[in-house]
Amino acid sequence: MASRGAGVGLEMEKMSLEQLRALKEQADLEFNLFQDSLNNIRTATARLEIASTALHDLSLRPQGKKMLVPLTASLYVPGSLDDADKVLVDVGTGYFIEKTMVEGKEYCERKINLLKSNYDQLLEVATKKKSIADETGAILQAKLKQVAPIQ
Amino acid sequence: MGSTAVLKELQGDLENKANDLTKLQKDIAKNHQVRKKYTIQLGENELVLKELDLLNDDANVYKLIGPVLVKQDLAEANANVRKRIDYISAELKRLDATLQDLEEKQNSKKEAIYKVQQRIQSLQAGKGKA
Repeated sequence: MASRGAGVGLEMEKMSLEQLRALKEQADLEFNLFQDSLNNIRTATARLEIASTALHDLSLRPQGKKMLVPLTASLYVPGSLDDADKVLVDVGTGYFIEKTMVEGKEYCERKINLLKSNYDQLLEVATKKKSIADETGAILQAKLKQVAPIQ
Repeated sequence: MGSTAVLKELQGDLENKANDLTKLQKDIAKNHQVRKKYTIQLGENELVLKELDLLNDDANVYKLIGPVLVKQDLAEANANVRKRIDYISAELKRLDATLQDLEEKQNSKKEAIYKVQQRIQSLQAGKGKA
């Protein structure tokens, strides 16, 4: 690992200032993209966890329990809880699957785990990209210092 | 005098080639965008397929068509999602081929521009000496 890092460093030493600057900019850009993706995953995970909690709460309610049903963002209508054991799950591309409460909870679990593993993988790649960007920046600084005293 | 005319012609040629290159680059960027969209859709459809596969045959599947939730047959839903996945994969392959073609054209255009630039430079150097 250390020798590979040194190898990359040697290649960068040979590059001109312009190329180094371009490389650093590109690495920074890519790292920012990764940060955005990481944030998106975190938001999605949070939403899934809220859904999971809501499901669990729903499962505790008895049948026939009075509740307020949202028709729009500002209009709620009184109703009573029918069958809390069946839930409709939005799986994407316009498809909804009827599941039992247990299956619904399992679905949320599965999705949350999937997102968590994606998050970890992305974090790994992002950290590597950041270290490349930092290394490029350091070499750029060193080169600038080399050039400046001569002038 | 003859060389000035040639110079003008070369510069006009350079401009044309530069415009062509810009257009090629725009096309490549658009290709990337469409590819991104299709890749996202493919991922989503594959997730749906996985969920459908986990179901027992008697589970109920509904599709959202406009404001209406319509009950679908599990086999039919499976078939639909699979067809969509196949279609999107074919589109992606087509886009890949187009992208390769565009990139080749871009590279040869860059080379041609470089050559014209060199000719212009050598002409100008020649004129300078004279």
